[in-house]
Amino acid sequence: MKSILTCQGITKNYGAGDIIEKVLKPVDLEFFEGQASVLIGPSGSGKTTLLSILGCLLAPSEGQLLIAEQGVNFSDKSSLTEVRRQKLGFIFQHAQLLPFLTIEENLAIVGRNAGLDETDIKQRLDNLLQRLELRAMRYKHPNQLSGGQRQRVAIARALLHRPSIVLADEPTAALDWQTGKTVVELLLEQARLEKAVLVVVTHDTRMLPLFDRILSIADGLLSEQQQTATTDNTFYTQS
Amino acid sequence: MASVVIAVSTKMLSHNRMRFVMTVTGIAIAFFLAAAQIGLLVGWVNTNSAIINNAGVDIWVMAKETRTIDYGTAIPRQRIQQVRSVEGVSWAEGMLVGWINWQHPEGKNITVEVIGLDTSNAGGPWKLIEGNLESMHLPKTVIVDELSKNALGVSQIGDSAEMQGKRATIGGFSQEVRTFTAAPFIFTSIKNALEYVPYYRDDEISYVLARIKPNTDILAVRDRVADEVSNVEVLTTAEFAVRSVKYWMLETGVGITVIITAVLGLLVGAVIMSQTLFAITQDHIGNYATLLALGFHQKTLRQIVLAQSITLGGLGIIVGLILFFLACNASARSPIPLETTTTVTTGLVAFSLLCCIASSWFSIRAIFKLDPVSVFHG
Repeated sequence: MKSILTCQGITKNYGAGDIIEKVLKPVDLEFFEGQASVLIGPSGSGKTTLLSILGCLLAPSEGQLLIAEQGVNFSDKSSLTEVRRQKLGFIFQHAQLLPFLTIEENLAIVGRNAGLDETDIKQRLDNLLQRLELRAMRYKHPNQLSGGQRQRVAIARALLHRPSIVLADEPTAALDWQTGKTVVELLLEQARLEKAVLVVVTHDTRMLPLFDRILSIADGLLSEQQQTATTDNTFYTQS
Repeated sequence: MASVVIAVSTKMLSHNRMRFVMTVTGIAIAFFLAAAQIGLLVGWVNTNSAIINNAGVDIWVMAKETRTIDYGTAIPRQRIQQVRSVEGVSWAEGMLVGWINWQHPEGKNITVEVIGLDTSNAGGPWKLIEGNLESMHLPKTVIVDELSKNALGVSQIGDSAEMQGKRATIGGFSQEVRTFTAAPFIFTSIKNALEYVPYYRDDEISYVLARIKPNTDILAVRDRVADEVSNVEVLTTAEFAVRSVKYWMLETGVGITVIITAVLGLLVGAVIMSQTLFAITQDHIGNYATLLALGFHQKTLRQIVLAQSITLGGLGIIVGLILFFLACNASARSPIPLETTTTVTTGLVAFSLLCCIASSWFSIRAIFKLDPVSVFHG
């Protein structure tokens, strides 16, 4: 399988001098094309920090992040924006759709920002809205949609510009269990169809069987759980 | 990317229609306030240089240190002949300006500014709506402006009143000859004026008005007149108009007050704009963070804010400009008209738009400080 996203000794510390908080202990990880991973852990364990680093939104204190074997330069904000624009798709806890745009406009501006031509945007938009059963919502505004529908739109928005990596931060937190499960199943299905790396942060352990990999984080220390095993293995982390 | 900027900026603005309308209205009123002050200034400038500019002459000869046309002092009448004899001068006549009392038919006394004119009426009213200009040369006959009818207590040709204790009969009504000093202009012949104005001797006038020969250098003729005619000051029409305007606008402080009010108007507009734009940006700060996280460049977000300030400012200015032109039209025949020129209007619009753009600075600063990682914190 093709390696898409690699973490090499990534750490994150906050503070300075004697008061340093190690939020993330050295992380070595590799994500492959079409692979769906779930990241779990208690609040404050470092999940969002890791997701922010993977999403090129936060610079690590040490280590290197590689996307398609290319090192990410965290000191250059413009190149980080370019990486996010071209290679990353995001799904946020509350969908974060722009309330003043229609669903179609919410999706189209992402395509335009990524440099897709109008024909391509229209095709992708039609295709994703159909796949996610959102065609009837096309001209509605986000406040006219249910929570589940909004997250389906967020999935479409994350995938529209064909990113190689999709990161989701607790996409089901604001949904009931059944709606949340449906959203995650759709997300997995669409990400696999697009052969994108998918990393989902969640608190809901009932979702775990749906993913290829389960990553667990506690006190900044990352470990990988076997789907069938009950004990943790620290394959990719070093203390 | 322009389509993204336009779509996001306009939809973000129009999302809250009431605030959008209120902001445009606020900017329109602020612009109108500033434009009205500037219009008042232009109107005053035009008013206090109108007689000079409409006289149709090239050179004005006057007593030294004359600060404005209204305060001309006596010079000997023989200066007219002296000016005529200067090389390059084709024509010269006299003009007299004096301040006296007019007795209103109801008994009250008001101060008027008498303008005594020579044979060809240079310096006289340029638009007559009733009567004949030549009637001024009839004994005890005067022409007044229609705007002064009420102040003088006259309503038609043939009406008469007392001026400095002597009878004065109305021979005609002019139009758009406004007074800056609140004292109505009374046009008559020099001969008549000398009978009314007690402090002028029969051989005295206030100004010599001259025209130069075609293809002659006006400045050279001005300097020659100044050299050859003693105890006078010589100015071109443009110079005298500027001096008169400067006196009333700057030396009396009237103009400064108007300019300060106009600048305050623009500042109020800029503050309204800045506050609203900042509030809109703050309301949407989460959305901006989302856009940053999704890979939109800071530059694009700044363009969105700038597009919003130009949209709000542009619409406010258009509405304000319409109100201003309506006010100019409505005040055209009033004693205090709002007037403008293409240059003044263009400058005002450009300055107001610049204020609007500058007012987006706080919003752009907020965007600069924005950390896209905040999108993960709700």
